[in-house]
Amino acid sequence: MGESSEDIDQMFSTLLGEMDLLTQSLGVDTLPPPDPNPPRAEFNYSVGFKDLNESLNALEDQDLEALMADLVADISEAEQRTIQAQKESSQNQHHSASLQASNVSGAAPLGHGTNVAATGISQYEDDLPPPPADPVLDLPLPPPPPEPLSQEEEEAQAKADKIKLALEKLKEAKVKKLVVKVHMDDNSTKSLMVDERQLARDVLDNLFEKTHCDCNVDWCLYEIYPELQIERFFEDHENVVEVLSDWTRDTENKVLFLQKEEKYAVFKNPQNFYLDNRGKKESKETNEKMNAKNKESLLEESFCGTSIIVPELEGALYLKEDGKKSWKRRYFLLRASGIYYVPKGKTKTSRDLACFIQFENVNIYYGTQHKMKYKAPTDYCFVLKHPQIQKESQYIKYLCCDDARTLNQWVMGIRIAKYGKTLYDNYQRAVAKAGLASRWTNLGTVNAAAPAQPSTGPINGTAQPNGQMPQAAHFVTAVLQEAQTHPETSKNSYVSHLISSQPETQVIIETTGLIFYPVNQPTFMQLRKGKLSRIRSQPSGTTRSQEYPGPAGPQVQPAPPRPVQRSWDTRGSPAMPPKAKGTGSGGFLVLPDDFLPPQPPPPPSPLDDPELPPPPPSRRGRQEASYAPPCQQARGINVHKQQMNKINE
Amino acid sequence: MAGMKTASGDYIDSSWELRVFVGEEDPEAESVTLRVTGESHIGGVLLKIVEQINRKQDWSDHAIWWEQKRQWLLQTHWTLDKYGILADARLFFGPQHRPVILRLPNRRALRLRASFSQPLFQAVAAICRLLSIRHPEELSLLRAPEKKEKKKKEKEPEEELYDLSKVVLAGGVAPALFRGMPAHFSDSAQTEACYHMLSRPQPPPDPLLLQRLPRPSSLSDKTQLHSRWLDSSRCLMQQGIKAGDVLWLRFKYYSFFDLDPKTDPVRLTQLYEQARWDLLLEEIDCTEEEMMVFAALQYHINKLSQSGEVGEPAGTDPGLDDLDAALSNLEVKLEGSAPTDVLDSLTTIPELKDYLRIFRPRKLTLKGYRQHWVVFKETTLSYYKSQDEAPGDPIQQLNLKGCEVVPDVNVSGQKFCIKLLVPSPEGMSEIYLRCQDEQQYARWMAGCRLASKGRTMADSSYASEVQAILAFLSLQRTGGGGPGNHPQGPDASAEGLNPYGLVAPRFQRKFKAKQLTPRILEAHQNVAQLSLAEAQLRFIQAWQSLPDFGISYVMVRFKGSRKDEILGIANNRLIRIDLAVGDVVKTWRFSNMRQWNVNWDIRQVAIEFDEHINVAFSCVSASCRIVHEYIGGYIFLSTRERARGEELDEDLFLQLTGGHEAF
Repeated sequence: MGESSEDIDQMFSTLLGEMDLLTQSLGVDTLPPPDPNPPRAEFNYSVGFKDLNESLNALEDQDLEALMADLVADISEAEQRTIQAQKESSQNQHHSASLQASNVSGAAPLGHGTNVAATGISQYEDDLPPPPADPVLDLPLPPPPPEPLSQEEEEAQAKADKIKLALEKLKEAKVKKLVVKVHMDDNSTKSLMVDERQLARDVLDNLFEKTHCDCNVDWCLYEIYPELQIERFFEDHENVVEVLSDWTRDTENKVLFLQKEEKYAVFKNPQNFYLDNRGKKESKETNEKMNAKNKESLLEESFCGTSIIVPELEGALYLKEDGKKSWKRRYFLLRASGIYYVPKGKTKTSRDLACFIQFENVNIYYGTQHKMKYKAPTDYCFVLKHPQIQKESQYIKYLCCDDARTLNQWVMGIRIAKYGKTLYDNYQRAVAKAGLASRWTNLGTVNAAAPAQPSTGPINGTAQPNGQMPQAAHFVTAVLQEAQTHPETSKNSYVSHLISSQPETQVIIETTGLIFYPVNQPTFMQLRKGKLSRIRSQPSGTTRSQEYPGPAGPQVQPAPPRPVQRSWDTRGSPAMPPKAKGTGSGGFLVLPDDFLPPQPPPPPSPLDDPELPPPPPSRRGRQEASYAPPCQQARGINVHKQQMNKINE
Repeated sequence: MAGMKTASGDYIDSSWELRVFVGEEDPEAESVTLRVTGESHIGGVLLKIVEQINRKQDWSDHAIWWEQKRQWLLQTHWTLDKYGILADARLFFGPQHRPVILRLPNRRALRLRASFSQPLFQAVAAICRLLSIRHPEELSLLRAPEKKEKKKKEKEPEEELYDLSKVVLAGGVAPALFRGMPAHFSDSAQTEACYHMLSRPQPPPDPLLLQRLPRPSSLSDKTQLHSRWLDSSRCLMQQGIKAGDVLWLRFKYYSFFDLDPKTDPVRLTQLYEQARWDLLLEEIDCTEEEMMVFAALQYHINKLSQSGEVGEPAGTDPGLDDLDAALSNLEVKLEGSAPTDVLDSLTTIPELKDYLRIFRPRKLTLKGYRQHWVVFKETTLSYYKSQDEAPGDPIQQLNLKGCEVVPDVNVSGQKFCIKLLVPSPEGMSEIYLRCQDEQQYARWMAGCRLASKGRTMADSSYASEVQAILAFLSLQRTGGGGPGNHPQGPDASAEGLNPYGLVAPRFQRKFKAKQLTPRILEAHQNVAQLSLAEAQLRFIQAWQSLPDFGISYVMVRFKGSRKDEILGIANNRLIRIDLAVGDVVKTWRFSNMRQWNVNWDIRQVAIEFDEHINVAFSCVSASCRIVHEYIGGYIFLSTRERARGEELDEDLFLQLTGGHEAF
């Protein structure tokens, strides 16, 4: 299976290359939007990609050649069609729609995964002429579908099931696919097949496999509008086809694959966004120094509560006036519900604020070189516009900040307000992916028996339904979930290999897991994603996932050495259970969801001293008392007397 | 044994007479006199009292209260000497649990028995267990404000007083569920009604009442509330609360742990109510846009709770919906007709065709509305000069996906316009559709709304959307007459909406009802699919994302400063706020805090943060105990962990918040 899929994959990439050439020869970069105008059809080289995967599973090896023949046929056919389509006028729209429908009906209710390659040919919109008759003739023919249903009184249930199946097939057959040319950071391009259910995350994963890059979290899909001189990264949960279908046909827009550290900057240094004291340099320095644990608790506070916290952000920005060239300075405030400004002569209390824009229908973009283009006061501009707007318009809002730092804060703040917790989930998935990749490379060297190299694996995860993003509480579960969603559809995704065919890996995971449950570990073990990622990469002992800003070193015990550290676990707070429940598939060690302490343990120090603040002094006449956050009693007491003197002065 | 005497009647041991009043603190109360010695145990004294009273009654809840010392004598194995009780002690033998009237976050009054002898923390925990509110550590009690409006006394008896004072809760075990409510509520119709009051949102308040209620006009007004918090480490009796007093139950700490719609119906509802009243009474400010969302959610929640859809209606996956609809459709068709028809029916999507008047605002044109033949199919709107030209090319075709739909309706003026802001690559194009009547408007409006979300009129929500729009129009007819013309009677409550009951009074002054209604409707379309619990949760989340959320204000005087300032206490930080302007001067985070000290003599709180930052202030508007409890309480709440479940480390809480009762 592994080998055959590899073959297929290679053949496929060659095919894709061919198609790429074709596209280039037509002189267009990417796919046009699904406007009802017919000439768009020229980019319809969509091949039943997902279905291919399915059929691979079903077919074993026998019919691969036939399939390939079909694919080639498809391509030449597509060529023909483009030519044909250019000649067609929109008149036959209705005609083609109905024809298409009936055509699909012939194949759809088969209930066999084997010969769907034909039905997988996606019709871009209704504007295409019907594809020629089913090319997959050498495959077993389907039983004529509706007859058994209408024949006699069957169980209503069975009927419903079949219909449902048929409808699902119908839906699948309608899946839209695009070939997207992605510009790499070395000026080369790669063409990718993107189906309409794929999220930016899936596309990134594809690209990771194609490019052998380090898979770190900074990699992103990036869209550039040369005409408007704006750009932005795709959020990982965004549907790529949906975004691209807003582009006009003659667009100069491009999709890039590059690293942008701004993408997840807030998760690496949350203090820069949440605790920023503007104008104070020393505080900035201390911010840089913030330790990993404080960062984590800050993130948890901001993103893991009942509702997320949008960074407090306000200040004067320049606003380009609608349709004019002048820029006006106004005082803006960011709230979870939108951007507001202070009207003239009003205060900045909530009741006086006027709404500037809400985020539902706009995306945020960076503006490049707007100083030149629009005479902006600085080059630190950001732009808010409806995703469908592609040309200059008075509905595009241009804002300009004083410096890069402010710009980044606004852009990130707006993204947090717009996407909320999804952003954090995306980040965690990205970290998981990066960690997985780094471990994979390690395993690849350690364990030469690994059957399939990830780099040559076929495009995986194509069947991931939209919006079904594992709400990964953390790392290992994220990986597992991902792995579990894949096996049915893409057996050769390398994630599932980890599970199904590599007992060695399991052992490693288990041992790393066991590291987490030392029997005598303290109660407040700061077990977080950081630690996980660190330990996950342990087996090789060489690489560590770079993304996580946690302290280095394999030790589990996060507490810095302290003189006063004693009797960690004597207070009966329930420690992490020493027993780990192995409930995952294949004997995986699955950490229970509630495993992580959801709330940050008491403030800064990991030192959890059981003897909490001094019992209230019971002698009369001592009129003061001292309190400290639970973990800090040692310090608290020491300072106590001095402190009191100070106060009593 | 105390009370040995000689034959002549003289006492020969060191015994003396102790007088104990029976009943609650009442100087007229009956009393018993016992003969005791210093070595008598409290337990023995209790026995003797009961013997002397000689009445058959359950005395188990009774204990002795020492009036002068303001202390309960609860340690039955302690001797009188150990307590230091002499013959002059005024002791009362009374029940430990006494009825109080609780004013809940939803402003309803509830009579129940609260412990007068346990620290307030435990008493609140017991109350919350009775009300089935998890995480009682987040709540506390306040004294009711002094009543100024004694004149309005006539109004109060009308109010329904729920009574839970007879309900006794078995200790220890978590109350089991019975008929969808904790078992102890299902005893009688009365308690059942009480549970409904607790777990279901209340209808919007009367706008007139809302206007009359006191609202804070400044930051210093907002500090008033916080001076009334009771002390969580002392018992009610010690804090001068008497049986029958009114107390407010409120969420005190704005850090809501593990809020779960499934297990927390009462907690969620009460939290929602507190949030709502916070907003309606302007305890927390929000912008106009935010208020409209809050109003829409309230409207939606009220509608759901009145129609009794408490469970999980709506909100199913639209895609599945589609599929199911198509499925049943298909099934019907399959019975009789040929497969091609089936597929036709699958792909056929209902369309709207009609003559509408269209207006396209453009620069330099003064054209008004013009009649066009408009066809609305799937998500696309096309219009033609006339019906005859419909097979040809339309004048314009607009795909409404992602567009903004704004109603522009005046029912009394018979104006039914739909304003569409349709995005296109070139920008947004504006177009107005004018319908003839409500029915037409509702159908087209619903279609536009669905189309803007990328759905077609085949979507199963289309019909309900049409109904919702019609319902809203009828509301406008009744409620939108103008200010002061509020709908009254049962009819109005069935209609469900007077926009003035949903917004803070300052918006009542700013807008007319007929201006508010469409805006609320507009916001409502985004939340119309939520279930009751989801809507409440959404409301709470929106409340939590307000910048001023969760800040408790106290007026303080910082050391070295000459003027009063405001200290804001939130769940993760302290904020120094300028009293006059309201600007934030400085923020300190608890995560950087090393320790805090309270000097009870000079009522000063001193806090040390990392890097030797020291802050000291004395408290002006509230006692420093309240500030201290807030800080300690938040530190305590941050130590909670999911693994620990609901069990509370009470000692830790009291250590962090108490300490002063020793003096």
